Amino acid sequence: MGGNMTISRSMVALLLISIAMVVSPAVNSLPTGVNYDQISAGGCNCHAAAPNAAVMVTLDGLPEEYNMSEIYQVTISFTGGPSAEGNANLGGFNLWASGGEITPLDATVQSNGPSEVTHTEAGNDYTSWSIEWIAPSHGRDVDFVVHVNSVNGDGNAGPEDQWNKLTLKVAGSLGPGLEEADPYKVLATLIIISGILLAITVLYGFYRTNPDVFDWEHLAPWLTEWLTSTDHKKIGTLYFVQGLFFLGIGGILAMMIRIQLAVPGNDFISQDQYNSFFTLHGTTMIFLAAMPLINGFANWMVPLQIGAPDLAMPRLNALSFWLQPFAALLIFTGVFTGEGADTGWTGYAPYIVTEGAHTGVTMWVAGQIMLVASSTLTGINFLTTMAVMRAEGMGWMQMPLFTWSILVANLMLFLSIPAFGVGLIQVYLDRTISTAFYDISAGGDPLLWSHLFWYFGHPEVYVVIVPAFGVISEVLATSARRSIFGYRSMVYAMAGIGVVAFIVYGHHMFTSGMSPSLRFVTMLTTMLVAVPTGIKIFNWLKTMHGGSLVYRTHTLWALGFLVTFTLGGISGMFFPSIAMDTHLHETYFVVAHFHYVLVGGTVFGFFSAIYYWYPKMTGRMLDERLGTLHFLTAFVTYNGIFWPMHRLGVVGMARRHHTYFITTDDFTNLPEWAADWNLFISVSAFLFFFSNFIMVANMLISLVRGEKAPADPWGGWSFEWMTSSPPPTPSFDWDNPPVLKDANEHIAHEPGRLGQWFNRLMVPEDHEEVSH
Amino acid sequence: MSLITPLYDSLWNEYLVWSLLVALFTFGWLYHHSFFYRSEDGENPNVDDLEVGVFPAHYDDLKLELAWTIVPFMLIVYLTYISWAPLDNVWSSPNDGYFGNECDYDSTEYQTYGSNLYFDDDDGLKGAYHANCYHTIEITAKQWVWSFDCGTLEVELCESGFTEADGRAVPHLSLQAGNAYLAYMTSEDVTHAPWFVSLGVKEDVLPGQTTTVWILAEDVEDFLLLCTEYCGDDHAYMMAGVTIHA
Amino acid sequence: MSGDYDHDHHAPQPWGPHDWGHGAPHNSFSPLFMSMGIAIFLFGMAEAWSYGTYNPGNIPMILVGLLVVGFSIFIWWRQDLSFDGHYEPIATGVPFRGIQIRKVGVWVFLMSEMMVFTSLFSTYMRYRLGIENCGTVFERGMFDPVTNPTGWQEGVTVTCFEPASHLIASSWWHIAPGAINTFALIISSFTIVQALRYAKMPDLDDEVRRKKVYRYLGTTWFLAILFLTLKMVEWFIGFYVPEISAIGLHEHDIISLVDEGYTINADHYQHHSYVDEATGAHMVADIQVSASLFYVTTGTHGAHVAGGIIGLSYMTYKAWLGGYTPKNAVSIEYFGLYWHFVDLIWVLVFPFFYLY
Repeated sequence: MGGNMTISRSMVALLLISIAMVVSPAVNSLPTGVNYDQISAGGCNCHAAAPNAAVMVTLDGLPEEYNMSEIYQVTISFTGGPSAEGNANLGGFNLWASGGEITPLDATVQSNGPSEVTHTEAGNDYTSWSIEWIAPSHGRDVDFVVHVNSVNGDGNAGPEDQWNKLTLKVAGSLGPGLEEADPYKVLATLIIISGILLAITVLYGFYRTNPDVFDWEHLAPWLTEWLTSTDHKKIGTLYFVQGLFFLGIGGILAMMIRIQLAVPGNDFISQDQYNSFFTLHGTTMIFLAAMPLINGFANWMVPLQIGAPDLAMPRLNALSFWLQPFAALLIFTGVFTGEGADTGWTGYAPYIVTEGAHTGVTMWVAGQIMLVASSTLTGINFLTTMAVMRAEGMGWMQMPLFTWSILVANLMLFLSIPAFGVGLIQVYLDRTISTAFYDISAGGDPLLWSHLFWYFGHPEVYVVIVPAFGVISEVLATSARRSIFGYRSMVYAMAGIGVVAFIVYGHHMFTSGMSPSLRFVTMLTTMLVAVPTGIKIFNWLKTMHGGSLVYRTHTLWALGFLVTFTLGGISGMFFPSIAMDTHLHETYFVVAHFHYVLVGGTVFGFFSAIYYWYPKMTGRMLDERLGTLHFLTAFVTYNGIFWPMHRLGVVGMARRHHTYFITTDDFTNLPEWAADWNLFISVSAFLFFFSNFIMVANMLISLVRGEKAPADPWGGWSFEWMTSSPPPTPSFDWDNPPVLKDANEHIAHEPGRLGQWFNRLMVPEDHEEVSH
Repeated sequence: MSLITPLYDSLWNEYLVWSLLVALFTFGWLYHHSFFYRSEDGENPNVDDLEVGVFPAHYDDLKLELAWTIVPFMLIVYLTYISWAPLDNVWSSPNDGYFGNECDYDSTEYQTYGSNLYFDDDDGLKGAYHANCYHTIEITAKQWVWSFDCGTLEVELCESGFTEADGRAVPHLSLQAGNAYLAYMTSEDVTHAPWFVSLGVKEDVLPGQTTTVWILAEDVEDFLLLCTEYCGDDHAYMMAGVTIHA
Repeated sequence: MSGDYDHDHHAPQPWGPHDWGHGAPHNSFSPLFMSMGIAIFLFGMAEAWSYGTYNPGNIPMILVGLLVVGFSIFIWWRQDLSFDGHYEPIATGVPFRGIQIRKVGVWVFLMSEMMVFTSLFSTYMRYRLGIENCGTVFERGMFDPVTNPTGWQEGVTVTCFEPASHLIASSWWHIAPGAINTFALIISSFTIVQALRYAKMPDLDDEVRRKKVYRYLGTTWFLAILFLTLKMVEWFIGFYVPEISAIGLHEHDIISLVDEGYTINADHYQHHSYVDEATGAHMVADIQVSASLFYVTTGTHGAHVAGGIIGLSYMTYKAWLGGYTPKNAVSIEYFGLYWHFVDLIWVLVFPFFYLY
């Protein structure tokens, strides 16, 4: 695992440098020394922007190949540049070595760390400096980097000064140190390790199912069944496991981010690591956690709810699922090699196609292409299923609301994701065979990517929230023992959200340099989103009216959802107001908002779904006390994480920054209390992270010794509560297929005017082929 | 002392009031119903006679549903209306807009009044910034350094250089309070966005294109300018010091 | 049809062949392998090319990926070959009641395909309308500091949009491959419908039906191959026009687009007409964006044709075995819907990229 060694080494080095920064009193003031960290941040930008070849740097006294632990006298000197006899100052330097110890010999040089030195204020008056290097004992090659400033002596660091750098390698008797990891090897290693881990888990799962027949003859068909199954319930379970697994991975990434941000100026992880972690946190949570969780429930419940035997195209359904784990492998490949994708989940052009972006970006794009394929197939399958396989008696307006939400979500996803796919293919080709879609010098347009991305990206965020609406509609109505208030307006509101989703995406580009008239139009449309969501919230509230509300865990989560989602909706209203958005865009206010709707909305909604449908899926009841504990801890800590972020964003904390700056003497940035709140957020984040393991434990415990679940534990009305828990295969008795009755006789069964028109249009001439 | 700028604050405060009202209404309703309609057994009252396999009886009320379609819609229209007015100010035209034309430094008018930026509380719904004329500066971004070009402006009006913030050498821009500036911005490599934190404005800087942003230096203050469009490794360090002096 | 949905209680056959008498295939290794193959393929591609730098050591990886995908398709077909129409799920929901479910699925699929090409055309329109046309730049004439400050200069690259049609439409011979292709696709749409017609025809001798169906499918297959071949000729190979003086033809070569310099990395492209008559100076253009657009859009369409060829190969084979009867002829219709769509897209691509 060479990658990890390198990472931990660089972390130790960074830690040492930061200790040195704290210890060394004068590192912050420029005339008295240059800090290597500062140089690496942007060239030697303290003195002019770019290196100048006029400055000649030499490093004398180093051997070709060093002897371990021997002491060498080294001289750093330079000629050229504006430095001249008689100037007040002549120049400065910084020397950094990847190994060994460097010690100053006189007062012109000071130590910046064990293997870094720079000039002192007195050393400003020289053009050469001497130091002592104690060679390391490990015998590996050592790199030296020396930066030299040649100054004109006017006392100001400015562009008139010139600088240059020199890098040198001193061979060790044992040759080079750890090589850069080969992506193939690392990938292979990881596949093997994950494979072994998975195998152990699966074996244990198999053992638990039936401890008596733990042998290959029974294991092989069991495994084959899971790998090849096209049964919607099995695939639903696979999705569900994948979703929870990646929810954990995304959570770990979030914890890394929170450790880094716990205190200002932290260097727990380096900036490039931080950048790939937040990129992968976003990608993982949206595409590999939220969407598979939704698909897990959709796979399980949609066919049951509409009384269908399976999805329309079961084999394609299996393909939709299997594309996901392999896509995940590709997406994470970059991280394993230490070059994780670092573009943000939005992957803005032209950064995404520049060579400055990590090499892992190509793999990330490749993985995303596979996810696009997966989502497209899922869309085909679900849309077809819901359009054609509803049970006798179930018209469009008798579909359960969860099914409706999946229909709306898939329609949105299905019509928007091709744009993303095309954009990704363009980027993939740009990065591999060097096409020029986003090559700015050849006339490429960075905004084109933004349009293609957000045309998909905005519907996408509704794709993950709308199914949660469906869940809450089911859960609240069942918990209050009422039919949902305003079923029809619920459906229209959802459809309205689906339509509006396509015309509001410009609000992500309010500060993008896009034409102001376009921004203004999307400001108007974005405001509209509040209307259908408002209808839904008020309908949910009214549903409870006159009902018989019982507090079960899923009810708690649904009520919690109402609180957090409403808050997220309200904070969302601040963005379309462009005069405010120019301040709020890309700050923690945005982070707070979208976590309020994505965690407080989607995740809470699906936690509710887990407690609601778990008995149906496994035939075991979950423990209510553990569930309540999970809700209380998670709800409180969740708000502890994201509520303070609103304020932090307004006072000036920008998102996607690996560090933040508390007000210094010179410049105001964040007030001092911002650091305290960040620490508070980090602590809350850890508590939230761990509180969710209560739910995982609850599920595992109930699998083994949970109470047996009845067919309809909560009193729901839709078809899934008709079959036993867990449902048999086939789910219903097909000699006696389910028929939906309607308590509203006057409108039952008859297709509407539109339906009749479609019927005339669609029914084939040869009726005898049709069987009912 | 305003939170960000008077323009931002007037909107922010009004939005906050409406948010509180909506939240109070919703949460009050939620709180009341979740306790008032509790039931021990979940069966009584059984208003809608739910039954498995039967689509439940409709429970709706067209008047109510219309009410909470129309009332929020009216609120939305109102919020849009008040957000609309400041847009002219945010995107004011460089020719005879809120900030006049580019300053003619030789004219007596300029020599008498200067740029004269001020905030007029009574202009329109939310007030507006006005100026006699504005100065032009250029901002160029590249990974991960800002560079400011004051052109031919006097040092008093605009000065660029380097300074130190949080232990780093960073570019520095010094502007004079009471002046309006129009920045023409472009990027040499990837997309960046300068965020003038205390002025509440940001705008993307795109390679191969020129974007503009109004810098309305009203109060005397020092603040950090941050990059707010992700641009690679040292994105967080891509900052600059901004000083608005008297 | 109620019994059709029963589980296959006999040994499940995830490798195929499948006994369709027991209903829908309940197990298949195909999805697993296909996903694996696609991942390996994309991984290999990304390793083999980096910003136009080619690293041949990774070609085996790409081949492995393609092999695995091919293997998964083989499993899929092996399961499908025995499909005789006994199990064909029929829609129960309004408004599609009575229609084959998979037909609805194909239509839904075409909706997303429509969006794919819409996105590509959006990109095209953005650049076509947003970047100045090379012809317009050329017509402005040569640079002169006083009389023509916006003109072009010898040796200074102009960034502009150069539609492929400028080359292609410059001579009838250059446009010939595209024109023939258009007719090839339109005819193939006809032949696929003929195949469907004979497969569906109720009172037809089995042997006659077999011959008719496989011959029409084979023709379609041949026309699709012709399409891609001519595409390769037009892109990479070029062709030779013989001397036929009777109709005024003179011997010459038609040079392929790539040989003309119309490539995705053409930052010094020079069309033969971009020469100033007075001075003989050349205008040099950076046309990478336009070339990328041309190759990727027509290439995406080409990939759809290639996908169709894979499907057609299998269907022709199945038809040759006599696998299509009126009961399962609707399978040909599913493919036909897709094929018509590909045809229709070409009818849009052709004018936008070849003529205009």
